[in-house]
Amino acid sequence: MAHDADVLSASGIPAAEAERYGHNLPLIDGNKTYRQVTEEVFAPTERRPPLRWWLALAVTLSMLSLGAWAVVQTLTRGIGTWGLNRTVGWAFDITNFVFWVGIGHAGTLISAILFLFRQRWRTSINRAAEAMTLFAVMCAGTFPIIHMGRPWLAFWATPYPNSRGSLWVNFKSPLLWDVVAISTYFIISLTFWYIGLIPDLATQRDRAKTKLKRTILSLFSLGWNGSNRTWSRYETVYMLLAGLSTPLVVSVHTIVSMDFATSVIPGWHATIFPPYFVVGAVFSGFAMVLTLMIIARSVMGLEEYITTRHLEAMTKVVLATGMIVGMAYATEFFTAWYSGNPYERYVFLNRALGSYQWAYWTMVGCNVLSPQFFWFKKVRTTPWMIFILTIFVNIGMWFERFVIIVTSLHRDYLPSSWAMYRPTFIEVAILIGSFGLFFTLFLVFTRVLPMIAASEVKGVLKHVEH
Amino acid sequence: MSSIEHLHRSRFRASFPDPEQLLHAVAHLRAAGHRVLDTYTPFPVHGMDEALGQRPSRLPRACLAFAALGLALAAGLQIWTSAVDYPLIMGGKPLLAIPAFIPVAFELTVLLAGLGVVASFFVAARMRPRLRIPDLHPGANDDRFILAAELAADVQFPAVARELADLGALDSSLLVEDRFRRDGAFWDRPAGVGMLLLACLPAFLLLALVPVLNRDFQRRNQAWDGGMGAPLSAQAYDASGVLPGGKVLQAPPPYTLSRRGEPPLAFAAGKAEAERAGRELQNPYQPTQARFNRGKLVYERVCATCHGREGDNNGSVIVARGAFAPTVLVSPAVRDMPDGRLFHVATFGGPTKMKGYGDLLSREDRWQVVLYIRELQKAAKPVAAPAQATGVQP
Repeated sequence: MAHDADVLSASGIPAAEAERYGHNLPLIDGNKTYRQVTEEVFAPTERRPPLRWWLALAVTLSMLSLGAWAVVQTLTRGIGTWGLNRTVGWAFDITNFVFWVGIGHAGTLISAILFLFRQRWRTSINRAAEAMTLFAVMCAGTFPIIHMGRPWLAFWATPYPNSRGSLWVNFKSPLLWDVVAISTYFIISLTFWYIGLIPDLATQRDRAKTKLKRTILSLFSLGWNGSNRTWSRYETVYMLLAGLSTPLVVSVHTIVSMDFATSVIPGWHATIFPPYFVVGAVFSGFAMVLTLMIIARSVMGLEEYITTRHLEAMTKVVLATGMIVGMAYATEFFTAWYSGNPYERYVFLNRALGSYQWAYWTMVGCNVLSPQFFWFKKVRTTPWMIFILTIFVNIGMWFERFVIIVTSLHRDYLPSSWAMYRPTFIEVAILIGSFGLFFTLFLVFTRVLPMIAASEVKGVLKHVEH
Repeated sequence: MSSIEHLHRSRFRASFPDPEQLLHAVAHLRAAGHRVLDTYTPFPVHGMDEALGQRPSRLPRACLAFAALGLALAAGLQIWTSAVDYPLIMGGKPLLAIPAFIPVAFELTVLLAGLGVVASFFVAARMRPRLRIPDLHPGANDDRFILAAELAADVQFPAVARELADLGALDSSLLVEDRFRRDGAFWDRPAGVGMLLLACLPAFLLLALVPVLNRDFQRRNQAWDGGMGAPLSAQAYDASGVLPGGKVLQAPPPYTLSRRGEPPLAFAAGKAEAERAGRELQNPYQPTQARFNRGKLVYERVCATCHGREGDNNGSVIVARGAFAPTVLVSPAVRDMPDGRLFHVATFGGPTKMKGYGDLLSREDRWQVVLYIRELQKAAKPVAAPAQATGVQP
């Protein structure tokens, strides 16, 4: 970081010197007071948004409108507006669903797993990452619901007493596990996020200028007054929720992978799927957190809270999980060869050399090769380089799901049913719409709620990394 | 109303700029015999629970109780719906497929535990949506570290205020009336947790019934997977365990309309109605090559099995089996019947032998079959009416 090369770090060593050895650095730059943290964190929620925020909102709302139009087309004209056929009966929608659920997992990882590991640097990013989780899960949830064709009957997927004689959902189906897992994940993530927000909502309430804002914040801050008795219970509850969320996040993507792994399609029917999917989710999620944070910190002037050291720590997670994902790709080929199963072997040869080889090699290039640049410290600490690489990772992880789903399906057991899949404009528009929804919600979030957990940051303000 | 009237006589507050000073002051006040009621800080100050002599929270107990409740509900719901109320074989898995129930059971356990512990937290900390919140401790959510305490019996407040100022207090004052109540919720009492666990007992007992209900005397060893390796399969003509009377397909309710969008026919079954149909109905289709082809296809697939490909019972399966002889379609009796009557029989069946095909063939196909039968009759050799064609029922 160029601008603090000539200042002293908290421990009195020149920052550049300290950074070289990677210790004695404060978590938050700028030697701030508690009051300063309050002012700076809440400022974006109290001033009028700048012009570029409105411009960004205009773009994301346009994307959202395009997606809404495409959804209306799908619902009024039917699923036939999509490029699906008998052989490839699942493609873009499920790809996008798995992609968005995976994006969400980084938020939970940062808020829960890093909390349990006492990684205090998480405090600057956990609020935004958890919000990202919620928005990503909302985007994910729309796809299966649209694919139902009659989304107003989506409640049929829940076990409720009904008037159709004895008729219950099939608890042995992974698709039902998926419904339960994603709903639970959304509810628990929302609860976790809200619990973390309460102290900051109280601060926001105390600072509110208008009566309406004060009333709304009073309702949501539940009478929080910073009492130690409440803090003590709060910390217990926070720890318990972190402990519950950690296995939950692993279970969610495990169950998502079982949508595929419990079927008998070559290329899907593999025990490697649960760990492979979970790691891929963390990989793509961290890449998305980095993409968002690099924009947000510079647009909102939060460089002293989300420092390059935060970015660097996250790039290391991206590098590690990227290598595991690469290992999984190699393992899949080994398993296919070692199984001696001609169908399994064919699927993997076809993946790398068949009609969709362009998608396969895009995936390998983005997911296995691009993270290798993170071996260089210069790359790990240069925001624009991280930004470009994480965009590549996001593209690669989207293609990973596309490759797994479409290449496994499009060459069926019977050559007579072989087919190709290509998305229609409607499907692409729905994908664009989901990005519109995601970024619209995120933009609104940054202006309505404190993007950084002020109470947590104050707690680590005097903390020095050793 | 003036807050002066509500100033407490013996309770006071003091605010500090730093958590360490607050911790120090709390320790000091407690050593001097004052009772520190609580502290109000912008973030949790570690070591404050010990400094206040506050016991650790017992919310983990509530979490455990709700987790048990979630597990019990999930187990009960899945076992009852899948094995008792709706015993449908799906994917060849046993009705009590315990491994398949694990994911949902896990998710609901986490869901109930998470929501339950948060609800317990709100109850214990008396947190609820409030419209007006008195700002009793200004700055506690910003950058002030505040304590509230009760004076020891024989001490006056000004003396304490001076001590606190020496300890770094920014200000101190007597406290505006506030309520401090001792908490007591169900999870603080062992009996409360016990009651909740007891409430989960029936569902766990149901879970314990699994090996009993799943008993199979032909199998020597108990499989670890609850029988997942031995698929169940329903045989053709097995009675269904789901529909009343063991049916596998339900008859449509009366007055059900066809999904093909055809309006209901104004005729009922029976010979009188068949004769009325003969008088009132005309074949709406003219014979064309396409209609002939379609009629031939339907006739040969559906009708020829009994009536023979030529309509003369030659090759009829049921004649070959010696069951009974169907009406000969190319006989003069049938040739003289009007189109509407043949259509009625194709729809509702004959009075004794033939079943109706109204629910299987579209109305257009039935008319086309009538056209095809007319062609068969034209092509048939004019022979004397065979002995079988005794009745008029086609």
